[in-house]
Amino acid sequence: MSLLNFFQWCEQSGIGDTIRRSSWLFPVIEAIHLLGLGVIGGAVLVVDLRLLGLGLRRQSAAQLARDAQPWLLGSLLLMVITGGLLFLSEAIKLYYHEAFWFKMSSLFLAIVFTFTIQRKVIMAGETQLRPVWSKIVAVVSVLLWSGVGLGGRWIGFS
Amino acid sequence: MQIRLLTLLSAMVLALCYGVTARTAAPNWGDAGHQILVSSTVTLQATPSHGIGSALLAFFSRLGDSTWSTGLHESRYAYDLIESVHVWTLCLFFGLAVLFDLRLLGWTMRRVPVSEVASRLLPWTVVGFISMVTSGTLLFLAIPLRSYQNIFFRTKMVMLLLAGLNVWIFHSGVYRRVATWDVARVPPRAARVAGGLSLALWVCIVLSGRMIAYNWFDCDRQPQRPIVNFLTSCVPTQSEEH
Repeated sequence: MSLLNFFQWCEQSGIGDTIRRSSWLFPVIEAIHLLGLGVIGGAVLVVDLRLLGLGLRRQSAAQLARDAQPWLLGSLLLMVITGGLLFLSEAIKLYYHEAFWFKMSSLFLAIVFTFTIQRKVIMAGETQLRPVWSKIVAVVSVLLWSGVGLGGRWIGFS
Repeated sequence: MQIRLLTLLSAMVLALCYGVTARTAAPNWGDAGHQILVSSTVTLQATPSHGIGSALLAFFSRLGDSTWSTGLHESRYAYDLIESVHVWTLCLFFGLAVLFDLRLLGWTMRRVPVSEVASRLLPWTVVGFISMVTSGTLLFLAIPLRSYQNIFFRTKMVMLLLAGLNVWIFHSGVYRRVATWDVARVPPRAARVAGGLSLALWVCIVLSGRMIAYNWFDCDRQPQRPIVNFLTSCVPTQSEEH
């Protein structure tokens, strides 16, 4: 089964069909998707600002990352669920949309980066690493997550 | 301090936007009735109604014909780019505001003093808010009349005022005594209520903001229920009513 076949199968699924037939389901799911984006944004930014030496400077990045973790994971789950539903309703359009593939690549990289490299740098603390590395990690993290958000927004533009 | 800065900056942005639009709209002023009739993108019937409502309708109709507005509306990328800025700064403003509200509710960063979260994060929400108001105003300017009559836009503006009121009440009320509950893992009831209200209002603002894009209740889609036309200041013509 080719990738296109899979996308066609998704498009023809009962859930996708239900969302397409409804005039309000897609907008409502999309709005919830946007709320999730906002919360992810906050959870990512509060840690990245700290790594840049801004925001809550008196707390350790590790502590902030731990505090933000449930909100990051929770909103990420919300986004995957709502995003999955949106995907089912227009899979074929997305297959041919560059912004979708850009977004998925950014998402993959952002998740891998956040939970491996960034996690290691944060847990290493300021003592073991030169501050410049924290800053680089923060900038990369902001760029990757911005790629996800903006890629998502550009799916809506034709 | 925060709140005063926020109010001042919002007022400046709004004044600036008013200055810009008033200047570009001015040449059309004497010809208002005609402008409404020839305004092509939106259906507007300004004939029977009077008062502030119809004056605003006429104003936003003229605004839609200004060079600024048509430029934003017709540019290939301007609208999309400004909307992307609006979405990006949503993360900055909404995301960090939500974190502060969650701290007030005692749901995150319980070990960080509330005043520290406020003083270190709220300046960023001010930056985010200014960017949102600026980009939002430009988005409005691109489609002024349609946005002004849009039921979700109106809901959003009312809730923005309520959210502002909530911020003011919080900062002039329970937050003045923050020293007494600064390190409380779960802040006092008044602070939790403010946090919860703020969270609910901003969530509704984001939801209704997203819905502005949909035209279910737009004036040019008749017939609508009378209550919808009342809420959108829409006066359909005889032929549209059936």
